[in-house]
Amino acid sequence: MSFESAKSFVGEWLAGEGKDSDLVISSRVRLARNLPGIPFSTLADDSHREQVADLIGSALEGLRPDLQLNSKNLDDLDSIHRQVLVERHLVSRELALGSGPRIVSFDDSEAISLMGNEEDHLRIQVVKSGYCLDEAWQQMDQLERSLDGQLHFAFDQQYGYLTACPTNTGTGLRVSVMLHLPALVITGQIEEVTRAATKIHLAVRGLFGEGTEAQGDFFQISNQRTLGLSEEEILADISSVLPKILSYERKLRKELLESKREWIEDRIGRSFGILSHAKLITSQEGLEHLSLVRLGVCMGLLGNLTLEQVNRMFLFSQPGHLQANEGRKMSSDERDNKRAEVLAGILQEN
Amino acid sequence: MLCEKCQQNEVAVHLTDIAAGIKKKYQLCKECAAAGGVSIHAELKKHKKFTLTEFYGSSPSESSNQDPTADPGCSKCGMRYSLFRKEGKFGCSHDYQEFRSDLDELLEKFHASSQHRGRAPGRFRQQVSRQVQLDQLRDELTLAVTNEQFEEAAKIRDQMRLLESHS
Repeated sequence: MSFESAKSFVGEWLAGEGKDSDLVISSRVRLARNLPGIPFSTLADDSHREQVADLIGSALEGLRPDLQLNSKNLDDLDSIHRQVLVERHLVSRELALGSGPRIVSFDDSEAISLMGNEEDHLRIQVVKSGYCLDEAWQQMDQLERSLDGQLHFAFDQQYGYLTACPTNTGTGLRVSVMLHLPALVITGQIEEVTRAATKIHLAVRGLFGEGTEAQGDFFQISNQRTLGLSEEEILADISSVLPKILSYERKLRKELLESKREWIEDRIGRSFGILSHAKLITSQEGLEHLSLVRLGVCMGLLGNLTLEQVNRMFLFSQPGHLQANEGRKMSSDERDNKRAEVLAGILQEN
Repeated sequence: MLCEKCQQNEVAVHLTDIAAGIKKKYQLCKECAAAGGVSIHAELKKHKKFTLTEFYGSSPSESSNQDPTADPGCSKCGMRYSLFRKEGKFGCSHDYQEFRSDLDELLEKFHASSQHRGRAPGRFRQQVSRQVQLDQLRDELTLAVTNEQFEEAAKIRDQMRLLESHS
């Protein structure tokens, strides 16, 4: 994706491919790193941020040229394009809304992205489509080692990597999987999953991570502990619980098809109808219907419609993308109208 | 500490009011704060971001420490421990060194550990592996001396000196 255009492209992680992609939208690993001798964002002024941006900029230039990272200072982008980056999960809301020199850098496939001057000086992220945490971690491992050769990261023999927030201290690693669990929500079993995950120190959050509520049956499950466990142990914690959640969701989907087929077909059909023909659709309403349409695709109830198309509908119907593609700021009503048009347009491709 | 308004109930709200650039601090009980239009619930809801105080409860030093010399702050960035406890964010990486005596307990509460077990930067990996080699050689030296293999012991000692000279 270029910074200026977000018209027809979705990142590799939204391809709807990979293992268990019917339930696992994406697998993500994130590392937090800092530079010694420079204040964290809570105390940093613009000259500190400039210093961090310069150091990170030079380190990125020293990375393998085939990575072809696109880098930009967020201040050089307007609010709509910053919102686009948030919706594509390339930057956090905090970075988009911050001030002073802030860097974003990502590769063409949007699998790798880096943020400079977020809460930590450097945040590195690798995202993959479907359930493939190991592959994401391998890529991260190589990337972090390359950066480690060029930047001296703040580290302590006892506390590990030193981060701005003590919730990231140690490995600085946050591993998360974005899940679509409509059957667990419909049958009221989702709280059981949340309870079980919390018991083993995993967090269940909404689509955009920390501080966001689950919407449209989409959930992020991530580790809470970052200290006292090796990176591999953190990955193993998530991997130990995930198959159980997935098989639970699959079992419930099967039961819905067997015992309540007409009811679930009706709900999915209604959502498909609304997305195909409505003239005004709010963000929240869109998400709810997209969730059921996605379920319909996975249950084989919606003909040729693919997960890639559903993911595209999901991304291009978000406010930043709607406005970027229109090339201007739009009122809420205008967005609802445009959203309905975009959603129906993709459904008519088949 | 008693509420500064009614002087009867325990302080529940530490209120900082900034008006026309002048900062004033108030220590109020729940009732007096509510009478003044401050709802604790509403205030907490506004602060969605994590703070250590929310997670761990207030620090004893935060409420009883009135002596600024007892909490002088980080020598590099000036971050005071009480502020770190309140905000939940460090000021710079040196704070870990400065607040070390209090940190273990906090980290153990959240992570169930205060000892890193993951990867290390390259410069530390070499140090770690050098230490492992030295420990091994030390064991071999003890064995050689015990077995009166003095020629072997001298070789091991030279290897150890060489390794130590690189650290």
